[in-house]
Amino acid sequence: MATPVIMPRQGQTVESCIITKWHKKKGEAVKVGDLLFSYETDKAAFDEEAKVEGTLLEVFFDEGDDVPVLATVCVIGQEGEDISEFMPDGKDASTAKDVAAGGQQQSAAESGSEMEVEGGDAAQEDGRVRISPRARNLAERAGVDYREATPTGPNGRIIERDIRQLIEKGQLVTLAARDEYIGAEGMRIGGTGIGGRVTTADLDSTKRDAHYEVPQPPVQEVKAGEADYEEVKLSNIRKVIARAMHQSLANTAQLTIHTSFDATEILAFRKKVKEQGERLGLANITLNDIILYVVSRTLLNHKALNAHFLDDKMLLFNHVHLGVAVDTERGLMVPTIYNADTKSLDEISREAKELVEACRKGSINPDYLKGGTFTVTNLGSLGVEAFTPILNPPQTGILGVDTIVQRIKEVDGKLVTYPSMGLSLTFDHRAVDGAPAARFLQELKANLENFSIFLAK
Amino acid sequence: MIYDLIVIGGGPAGYLGAERAGHAGLKTLLIEERSLGGVCLNEGCIPSKTLLHSAKIYDYARFGEKYGVTAKDVVLDHRTVIARKNKVVKTLVAGIRSQLKANHVHVMEGHAYIAGRSSDGYTVRVNDDTFIGRRLLIATGSVPIIPPIPGVKEGLERGYVLTNREILDIPQVPGSLVIVGGGIIGLEMASYFNSAGSKVTIIEMLDHIGGNIDREISQILLKNYQKKGIEFKLNSKVVEICDGAVVYECDGRREAVEADKVLMSVGRKPAVQDIGLENIGVEIERGAVKTDDRGKTNVPEVYAAGDVNGRYMLAHTAYREAEVCVNNMLGKRDIVRYHAIPSVIYTNPEVASVGETEESARQKGIEFEVAKVSMRYSGRYVAENEGGDGICKVLINKKYRNVIGVHMIGNYSSEIIYGAGLMIEAEMRVKDIKELVFPHPTVSEVIRECIFQFED
Repeated sequence: MATPVIMPRQGQTVESCIITKWHKKKGEAVKVGDLLFSYETDKAAFDEEAKVEGTLLEVFFDEGDDVPVLATVCVIGQEGEDISEFMPDGKDASTAKDVAAGGQQQSAAESGSEMEVEGGDAAQEDGRVRISPRARNLAERAGVDYREATPTGPNGRIIERDIRQLIEKGQLVTLAARDEYIGAEGMRIGGTGIGGRVTTADLDSTKRDAHYEVPQPPVQEVKAGEADYEEVKLSNIRKVIARAMHQSLANTAQLTIHTSFDATEILAFRKKVKEQGERLGLANITLNDIILYVVSRTLLNHKALNAHFLDDKMLLFNHVHLGVAVDTERGLMVPTIYNADTKSLDEISREAKELVEACRKGSINPDYLKGGTFTVTNLGSLGVEAFTPILNPPQTGILGVDTIVQRIKEVDGKLVTYPSMGLSLTFDHRAVDGAPAARFLQELKANLENFSIFLAK
Repeated sequence: MIYDLIVIGGGPAGYLGAERAGHAGLKTLLIEERSLGGVCLNEGCIPSKTLLHSAKIYDYARFGEKYGVTAKDVVLDHRTVIARKNKVVKTLVAGIRSQLKANHVHVMEGHAYIAGRSSDGYTVRVNDDTFIGRRLLIATGSVPIIPPIPGVKEGLERGYVLTNREILDIPQVPGSLVIVGGGIIGLEMASYFNSAGSKVTIIEMLDHIGGNIDREISQILLKNYQKKGIEFKLNSKVVEICDGAVVYECDGRREAVEADKVLMSVGRKPAVQDIGLENIGVEIERGAVKTDDRGKTNVPEVYAAGDVNGRYMLAHTAYREAEVCVNNMLGKRDIVRYHAIPSVIYTNPEVASVGETEESARQKGIEFEVAKVSMRYSGRYVAENEGGDGICKVLINKKYRNVIGVHMIGNYSSEIIYGAGLMIEAEMRVKDIKELVFPHPTVSEVIRECIFQFED
């Protein structure tokens, strides 16, 4: 009996996943444990293995398709078996792809299969021009540049009427000039041919003009056959990060304030743990863990920073769900230590290590990648002395941990050096004013400088 | 009286420009000194075509044996030919007059003189009246060049030396006719008078006839003409016109050829004199009104179209130029493209060409490929042209592989060439034209044959 393979649900909040790679082709034999396809959510990547043996009878989605969770992705069975019952919505394989979310829906006015064309229209978020085959055929016949069309189809796709509109508007190109005109990325060429068509003479004169108008400075030549850059497609995670970062800066009123504290006590504590931790059964507690611990306690006195700012209201949390920024090969990930304020230093340390490990392996449960009420990010280990972390909205604060430098202070009329660790707090001024934010930093500084007493509290 | 537009000159540029402007709602005045229709209609394209058609019928009748048709006592009655020509001209002039009327154009007869400029527009005097035009379209055309050769002026005065104007009205076919200048006008007149019975000699300064036409086609035409008994004196310069003979120099030698009449057809020059262009400061360059590709002169709202701009001197160029001028007056941006203007010589066989010749392409540094086929590839041509030696030649741009020139010699070429012009205008590539269907059997199929000589 044929067996359907469904898109697994990765965490309660994940509604769809993108297939990033197919490891098997339709018609190929598969054994139990063979990699079928890789897929990713907003933040994590996974592999799906075959759980039954047989032939990959049908594949309903392509690489890059956004597939709703629990939808049938493919069918494994014996050759010749009927798989019609697994067809999404009882349709055939080619139209099944239309159920994929985002940019894939078929317009009622159009027939034929969906097609996406690589192109250079910056108007499209992902750098691709979406155009229906009918529209593209028409554009080619009429010799118009479809990149000029204003898309009015679903999901920003160019459809036939857009090309008709373009023909009316008229950037027409003669047959002979077409290939080179389309190749001339970004060049706007006026047409002097029949009906205002762009002619080969226009191409040549534009090139000449460009040549004459812009004096060519001597350029260090790239060796022939050697591209001077490598084109890398953005991973889904990179796209998510890019969007999130930009939205954060665009939509909040964030600013960063800096302070530093005497790290003598936490360094001493760290040293002690390092020497005796194993014997005491303690985790390898790092300076960052100590800061997470102190932050999780101190925040409870500054609830406006342990909060979500939601335009017309704020959610002030009673517990601290601490986001920890993690550098992974795939990009930045921020898993959450839930209820950090109720966990011991040792527990926080252990949980942080587990989450970091899962993120780096790509096996993190996506539910851990949300729900934070405050975030801590650490560039200190890379020698950074101060930086301006970017908020993770709707959170209202993020603490950047900087490196330790030796500073001088006066003690009993003498100058002594001490290890000084920097802290950079970014907060959303819409939610918190400068003084309360500074007061949080002040208290944090005091608690860290007197860590042994703080532990006793 | 204030007009939106005053058109000076009622030739192809003038009457068509006036028609278009009137149609678009501009209050338009057209001023013509001689006769509506200009040189083209009255003493050029149209009358010469009626003469040539009579000559063709006469030739068919006389030389029909090879087609199995023999006629006896065939006579070409020159007086009847001229009378019919006048009737044709009259019909067409009347047609233009009614077209202008239908488009609400006022037509005045008289000499127009631009007196100056006022705040309302340009002042134009005609006879004793004064009109003001917000815009002007200068369409005064061209006049034959009369070279300062001894005896020419006197010859013209006593009717021994003729221009295209007079020769179309001579009552008798001269026994011998010497044509000075082997360009289009000279060749067409040679064709008629040769058929009509004159002993025709063409004296040409250059080493070839037909001006800028393809050299190979020029050679074929020359041979066809020689076969009919037309004599050519190439590389020859006329130095004097005496009573009854034309004296010319060739290779340093002075020779003379007897002539009952002499046709002076060495070329034409723009008519820019005595119309007051200087009063409003219109720039003249090399004897022609200087215009841009929209037909504008250096003076605001003063346009020029047709022969007067000294560019191409063809009636169909004038049509297009006038339309472009009017479009720009109406705020529609339009330009004249000169690279696909067909040109035809209505000799027998006809010569037609459009676009680049091998010579001009080489001069411009265009990289091209050329293919040539005999007209005998066309079944219809073989059926209708015993012993015909016509050719068709196509030039394509090597890089873009689009057609840039088509040259043909053989009858019906004149009616085919517009299609080639269209291919050039549309920048159709070899592979595009290969997809076109040509009617069979027609002479036009040679273009298709020629195109298939090229790789895509």
